[in-house]
Order: sequence, then C-alpha cells, then structure tokens
Amino acid sequence: MDAAAPLDLLCVGLNHETSPLEVRDALVMNEAEVERAIQALRERGAAEALVLSTCNRTEVYARGAAIEDPLAFVAALFREIKGMDLTGKEGRFLYTYREPESVRHFLRVACGLDSQVLGEPQITGQVKEALSVAARSGGSGPVIDRLLDAALRAAKRARSETAIGQGPVSSAYAAVGLAAKVMGSLAEKRLLVIGAGETAALAAVHFRDAGVTRIMVANRGRERAEAFAKAHGARVVSLEALPVVLPGADIVVSATASPGTIVREEMVRSAMKIRKNRSLLFLDLAVPRDVDPQVARLPNVFLHDLDALGGIVAQSLAHRRAEVPKVEAIVEEELARFLRWHRSLAVVPTVTAFRTRVETIAKEELERHKPRFKSEDHASLEALVHGIVQKLLHRPTTRLTRADEKDPEGIARIDAVRDLFGIDEEDSDADRNPR
Amino acid sequence: MGFRSRRPANPAMQALLPLLTTLLPVLYGLSAAGYARVYLAEPGVLEGTRGQSGGPFLLRAAVVVHVLYLAARGYMEGHLPLASVYDFLSATGFSLAVVYLYVEMRQRIRTTGIFVIPLVFFLQVISSAYGGSTAALKPPLKPIWFELHTLAAVLGYSAFVVSAIYGVLFLKLYRDIKANRLSFFYARMPSLETLGRMNVSAAGAGLVFLALAILMGMGWARVTGVRFLGDPKTWLTIAAWMVLGFAVLAYHRLGWRGPRAVYASLAGFTTLVLSRFAVDLFFHSFHTFR
Repeated sequence: MDAAAPLDLLCVGLNHETSPLEVRDALVMNEAEVERAIQALRERGAAEALVLSTCNRTEVYARGAAIEDPLAFVAALFREIKGMDLTGKEGRFLYTYREPESVRHFLRVACGLDSQVLGEPQITGQVKEALSVAARSGGSGPVIDRLLDAALRAAKRARSETAIGQGPVSSAYAAVGLAAKVMGSLAEKRLLVIGAGETAALAAVHFRDAGVTRIMVANRGRERAEAFAKAHGARVVSLEALPVVLPGADIVVSATASPGTIVREEMVRSAMKIRKNRSLLFLDLAVPRDVDPQVARLPNVFLHDLDALGGIVAQSLAHRRAEVPKVEAIVEEELARFLRWHRSLAVVPTVTAFRTRVETIAKEELERHKPRFKSEDHASLEALVHGIVQKLLHRPTTRLTRADEKDPEGIARIDAVRDLFGIDEEDSDADRNPR
Repeated sequence: MGFRSRRPANPAMQALLPLLTTLLPVLYGLSAAGYARVYLAEPGVLEGTRGQSGGPFLLRAAVVVHVLYLAARGYMEGHLPLASVYDFLSATGFSLAVVYLYVEMRQRIRTTGIFVIPLVFFLQVISSAYGGSTAALKPPLKPIWFELHTLAAVLGYSAFVVSAIYGVLFLKLYRDIKANRLSFFYARMPSLETLGRMNVSAAGAGLVFLALAILMGMGWARVTGVRFLGDPKTWLTIAAWMVLGFAVLAYHRLGWRGPRAVYASLAGFTTLVLSRFAVDLFFHSFHTFR
C-alpha cells in the first residue's frame, strides 16, 4: 500500500528552560514580525508555517521547507527580524525537533507541560492566536490546521480528565483560594488592602478577578494610595483610621514595608466585637510581618502569612506534577491519532477506498432492487448501473490521482474526499473541529 | 377514630415487596459509591460530567423506591411500617436521605454525600436483611395521626443527625484552616460559610418536623387522655427543641457565625441524644413501647 508523503514538520526554537529571560524578551515577535518570518519560510519552500512567540518561548514550525541546516536558517531569521545573533555559542539556546517529535512537542506545549508554570492555561489561547496570525499571513494549511485541532483537543482533555490545571500556583492565587474556602462567594465581600506596592496591587487584581468589587486601600503615602485606588477601583482610607475601618472588612491583605506590626491583637478583638464575630481573614504578605501572630488565636479570625501560602503553592505544584504521566498519555493518544490521519492521506489508497465505497453502495442497491425486474432485464440493469457509477467516478478519480500529497491543496482535496465519503469512520465531526 | 386492620393478601404486592426490599440497599449502596467517587476525585475533574451526577441520581431513585416500599407495606399492613425496630431503621435511613437531598439541593454541594449516604445504606442493609416480617402495630400506635407523629419525629431526629454531621465537618475544616492543614479534606470540602449554612438548614428542617411531632403527640395525648405533662421524655424533647431553636434563631437573627453557632446547634443535638438515653435508663415514660 502506498504511504502518504512524509510529514516533514520541523520545529526550531528556544524556551524558558534553554535560554535566559533577556534572550527570550529580545526575541518576542509582534504580529508584523511573525508575518515576515512566515513569509521567509514560505520563500524557502515551506508549504505551511507557524510561529509561536510568547514571553516564555519563540518557536518556528514549518512543513515541507527545503532547509538543510534548520538551526542556522532560523538563527539567521532571528538575526534579520530581531537583530539577535544566535549563532556560535548562543546557538546552544536553540533546539530542533523533527517529526514525530515536533508534533509531540507542539501537543505538550499546548497542554501546558512545557510551561514555566506547569499546566498554565494561557498557552492554549496563545497557540490559537499563533494559528490566526499564520492564517492571515498565508502560513496555515490543512496539516497545521489539523495539528491545531489535535493540540486543542489534547489541551481540553488534559484540563477535563486530569488535575494538571487545578490548584493555585502563586501566593496571590493561593490567597484568593483560601478566602473562597473560608467565605464562599467573594462577590459581596469587602477587601482592605494595607500597602500600595506591587504585591498589594497583584493581590488586588486577583481578588477583583475573583469577583470582589468593594476594595479599600490604606497606605502611609497618600499619593501612592490614590494612584492605587485609581488603578484598582478602590476607596482610599487613612492608615491611622485602621481601627475604625477594620470592622468593615471581611478580607485584609497586608503588604507594607513596615519594620513592625501594623495590625495588633487588641485592634482585631475590638473589630470582631463590632462584626459580631463574623469571619475575618488576614493575608499577611509582608516580610517582616504586618499582622500580630497572636491574632490567629481569636475565634473566627484566620491569619495566613507568606510561608503558609507558599506551602499551599508547593502542595499544588506537587499535585500537578503527579498528573503529568496522565497528560503525557493523552499527548501520546492524540499524537497517534494525528499521525494516523496523516498516513491516510496517500493518493492511491484514498482513490481505491473511494471507488470501493461507491461501487459497494451501487452493488448493494442493485441486489436490493433486482427482484422487481424481470430476469431477462438483469443484464441491462447491471450495465446501466455500472455505466452511471463509472461516469460519476471518472472526474473525481482523475482529479484525486493528480493531487499532490505534499501540496496543501492536494492534501485538502484528499482529506475532503475521505471526510465527505466517510472513509475514515473513526474521525467524527467533533474531532475535526474541537474549537 | 377506629383501628385499621391488615388487608387481605394481594399477590402482586406480595411479589413486589421482596423486590423492593432487595432493591433499596442496592440503590443506596450504588449511590454511596457514586458520592465516594465524587469525593475521591481530584477537585474539578468530574465537574459538570456524568461522573458527578451518578450518586445524586441514584439517591433520588432510591428515595422514590423507598416511598413505593413504604406505601406498599402501609397498604398491606393497614399502618405505616414503624412497628418493629427494623422498620424504624429503614424509616430513619429514608429520613436521612430525604433531609440530605433537601440540603444538597439548596446548597448545590455534592462532595459531602459521602458522610451521610453510607449511613443510610448501612441502616437499610440491616433493615432489609433482618426485617421483613410484617409485625402488627401495637395498640397505642394504631391511630393514624400517632403514626404521623412518629414519622415526623423520625424525620426531625434525622434532620438533626444531618445537621450534626455538617457541624462536625465545619469544625474539622475550621481547625484545619486555622492550623494551616490544607490537605485532602480541605480541598474537597465546600467553604466554611457553606458548611455553616448546611448545618443550620438541616437544623431548621429538624425543628419543623419535631415541632409537628410534639404538637401531634400532645393532640393525641389530649384526645386519648394520656398524661403527658408529667412525662420526662416530652419535657426533655421540648428542652432540646428550644436549645436547637435558639441556635437557629441566633444564626438568622443575631448573626451568629463560625464555631459559636455550630457549638450551639451541637449542644441542642447532644441534649436530644442524652434525653433519649436518660429517659430509657433513669425515668419511667409512657413513650417506651416495649
């Protein structure tokens, strides 16, 4: 049986494991630069091309490009587009994959297995965006499209069938998770942020994303507090008025540079009396700590510092790492499915299967209706059906036979015939378009 | 109000009853397994899938079958099946399942079924295995509304058991969060606030049923001339009802939250349990039908 043309999918790139931040930062490409890169690959004979460029990786995928030394070619491409020289010693930042490793790598990336934060979900959107840019730049084609389908399906399965994306992976996320575990829905809760620095801002962002709308900010410097309030939709309160505003807060995030404690036990005890003992959660993200540890002794008061939140994150990452084998198994399944699809794209077996399918249907219908005709008419009937079938098959067979298995148009034609005539029963419509 | 007698044997009912008696523990057992699966799965993995709905679906099916079972027994015997201790266990299991379903539907939380449904399964297994003989109802229990009094009391007690279970879960989660023990149990429990609401929801349902039971019992006592004013169990039950009533009132009206509110409801539950044992061990009460 003839085999399909080789997949010939190349991947060259660098990521957070092979290169330092300054190199990755310098290589991040905007849409115009990605288009230039795809154009250059097409000029070198690539039938399809895609560039995935994020803060953690820049990778070039190309199919059918006649490139003898891919590393050198891509390094030259980066030099031309970004002014970044990755030849010589810097070449060690780059890696190369050929099929099936290139396909496997793409699937692993989409599932978050290759991410700096294991299982992070943002990569799925970045992969989709990369394909959109490739489509606009003339780089996409049936193979890259199908590869994206496989990648999105693998990512969706990884998220729904495993816990690779579960649990917080930053202290700020852990803080939100803890607040939700104590208080349930955060939509009606009031957040008091003490401090207006980066850590406080990050916490405010995460709590707003979780549904908190009522935010107060207290800071020693009024100007910074006002800037923070403007940026995060918060209300400024005076740090001196802390004992007065504390009873009105359900969650307190403290992240100041104060050398001593700001929130003392007696302040919290008084606040709890006014609150009628409703839950009060302190998240102390400061070093040294802002909140008196004795506060934790009070009933219905919860205090968690950076160590505690760090413990939650470490536990969460350990759980995610334990899920990696399950996700790798999903990647292997989707890889096999993709390669099986690609192997089915050979012209001769497709023509044979297509003709066999139509001729089988004609034969079955003929046998079913023959009894309605007189036996002396059977020969004429058979000739009639045979003639109709051959006439119908002639043009599609000729067009299919001329299809080039390496050309995107040829692949699309073969794939369309297999789909339209149900030659590949195992691929459902859902498989073909999981987006 | 006359006493009701058993109906003549109905072959269809007689064939149906053993089937229902066997089906009940099977359904409760499968439901318990479904809830165990939800609890043991990684948080979020089964969300929105059929895997999460298996336990609740089977529990609803079991409750429907249980209603049919009670109706069939009632039809055949001419009274609610509460005459023997095994009937009582089955009725208690049924009540626990109904109260749990009410709380689950109100709060939309499924990860706590594992703490209630295995108990229901256990009670029904014993009832189905050792019960079955259709005992005659003792004379004091025969008037229909005394049967209803008993059923209301069973529902009330069961609701308080469910409330106590949620109270214990609350206290365990509360202590774990306070001590930074954020592990398997922590990951699978709903929020503290939700557990507190489940505790008080179940207690509220228990108050309603027990109040009905007390009122129906008093009404029956007046009609039949039984002296209930000197009965220790009646007074201890009323005292427990008041403690629980205060706990629910404190939650809704005084804004009590957290461990204080839960301890109040557990105090009421403890009073109820102790009253049962105290009466049996130390007092003479007309409530003991031996």
